Amino acid sequence: MLKIKPDEITLFSNYIHKLTGISIDQSKAYLLETRFGRLLQETDSTTYADLYHKARMEPGKHLEKKIIDAITTNETLFFRDTGPFDLLRHKIIPELIDSRIAKANGTRPSLKIWSAACSTGQEVYSIAIVLKELLAKGNYNIKLLGTDISDAAVTQASYGDYNKFEIERGLPKDKLIKYFSSSGSRWKVSDELRSMATFRKINLLTPFTNLGKWDIVFCRNVAIYFTLEDRQKLFSQIAQVLEPDGYLIIGSTESLTGVCPSFVPKRHLRTIFYTKR
Amino acid sequence: MSRLNILVVDDDPVTVILIQKKLVKEDYAVDTAEDGQQAVDKLTKRYYDVILTDLMMPGDIDGIGVLEAAKEWNIKTEVILITAFASIENAIEAMKKGAVDYLQKPINFDELLLRLEKIKNMKMLMKNATDLREAMDVTEQSSAGTIQVLELEVGKLQTLISDINELLLNDNLDAQSRIERVIEKIDT
Repeated sequence: MLKIKPDEITLFSNYIHKLTGISIDQSKAYLLETRFGRLLQETDSTTYADLYHKARMEPGKHLEKKIIDAITTNETLFFRDTGPFDLLRHKIIPELIDSRIAKANGTRPSLKIWSAACSTGQEVYSIAIVLKELLAKGNYNIKLLGTDISDAAVTQASYGDYNKFEIERGLPKDKLIKYFSSSGSRWKVSDELRSMATFRKINLLTPFTNLGKWDIVFCRNVAIYFTLEDRQKLFSQIAQVLEPDGYLIIGSTESLTGVCPSFVPKRHLRTIFYTKR
Repeated sequence: MSRLNILVVDDDPVTVILIQKKLVKEDYAVDTAEDGQQAVDKLTKRYYDVILTDLMMPGDIDGIGVLEAAKEWNIKTEVILITAFASIENAIEAMKKGAVDYLQKPINFDELLLRLEKIKNMKMLMKNATDLREAMDVTEQSSAGTIQVLELEVGKLQTLISDINELLLNDNLDAQSRIERVIEKIDT
């Protein structure tokens, strides 16, 4: 494998930070080498600097997208860490539904859920399954949005199409049979679940314009790749788009201490969630 | 990794015995079935890493039926189909339905062993990934527990500090009562 030089790490570190918010320091040479090996070959680049300049110069930004896809980590699975989904099922949804019905004055109550770093869609479809099992069809206006920085991840999420390794992870067999159909070794999410969700590309560190307000925001295991400063920026932006009685769920090993004073941690069973102060 | 468990399915007893002998010699654990029905009965009772099945068999369940049942029962089971006649259509249909490979009769044993070796390597990699994932889950759960306790504790302390701050700046109270209220607050 071609070794990356310190000044090339700096080049890419700045570039990747600007594109994705992901923070990469000099110790991550191996990460850049393993993630960009194929792109070097594909683009006939002789050095990492060469790849960088090609990406910067290319008007169509195809290479830039590939760089984002290569550097982002799409580690995800259905019902990753069951805690947040139990929380959703037993506390958040019932509470929000009660309050939204009271507000709706006889009209259809609405519920808006945003998965801020949805990767290839498993979190969104896990949420959709919980909603489907909890709420009677047609009685609610449900808006379920999944966003990610990686075009490739958003595309796969939109297709709702998974290989057997992805499907084996986290999804109980009864739910697999109920909500997916198989074609050979691939599995596709049912039209009903698919139609509950929309997906689009979003950079979490650019201003959230036209995003609207949300009742529940899932932002799990993405801020871990950001600097403290960017984490502060991200969560204060989320505070602005979260309804006053909304809920924020972050990754189980993440913390908002020293990151965002707008949120108060609370615990339900073994899971922490955040509400606005 | 322990030995691969293989189920060999063929209505021709000579073929079954031949394959069984070869595979046992190579240290695979081999079970056999003489038709599709018996194969399905067996595969629903225990787990096989690989099922090696003839495509065309008498009875209600042929090789494709065994493949479908195996995949339905346990997605991790890999199925290799054996066809008497070279038929691209059959092979494509089998692969579409999730077969990992297909072999032509008469069986070339070097080829069969090579494919089994590949499946074994793939399963080892998968096991490795599963082990890593489990180790990651354990680490994650344990650190999540610690972080949760700290997060709640810090949250409480922050509220306390802001309450104390408010009390200390309360112009309606004299210095003495401010201190008293603060001590009261801390005690609760």
